[in-house]
Amino acid sequence: MNCDIVTVSTDTKFVHLAWQRSEKELANVRYTMASDPTGKVSRMFGVYEETAGLALRGTFILNPEGKLLNAEVNYFNLGRNIEELMRKFKANMYMARKPTEVCPSKWKDEGDATLIPSADMVGRVHEALKGA
Amino acid sequence: MSETTSSLRLGQAVPDFELETYEPATREFGKFSLAEQKRKGRWTILFFYPADFTFV
Repeated sequence: MNCDIVTVSTDTKFVHLAWQRSEKELANVRYTMASDPTGKVSRMFGVYEETAGLALRGTFILNPEGKLLNAEVNYFNLGRNIEELMRKFKANMYMARKPTEVCPSKWKDEGDATLIPSADMVGRVHEALKGA
Repeated sequence: MSETTSSLRLGQAVPDFELETYEPATREFGKFSLAEQKRKGRWTILFFYPADFTFV
């Protein structure tokens, strides 16, 4: 896939290395582990918690032009739903190819119903979703 | 006081930035660069988390 997943914390790259090599859960990890020890990039994305000096659980999707298309931030104590992240990522890739279409909440993958916003659809979203 | 204000907005370009990395696939240190991603025409998913050696 034409995408790179990059995890970011304020740990150094040396700690990333030690953690990935010692934690069996991470044995098959292939994504890039980035280090933001000064919190500069975490601050730019609004996820740096100054009191703790740590990054909140923020997830951001950037298109190939570097444009920010999606942002979600959870507090420290709530994990993320990876299925929902992948749904949002696939939807963004799909819409990049088909700019006239939009993906409704139940859209999961290529082939699912999309909507094409137009004057005709105003007040008729129900019919559009049902394919009427 | 917690400071989490961001100037980034959805639909706008993120300013270029670079981060040092560890690449588990090659077991090497490296660098992530948004400018490089744009040159290569690649999507990026950034996944922030509090700390190594905790649950993700």
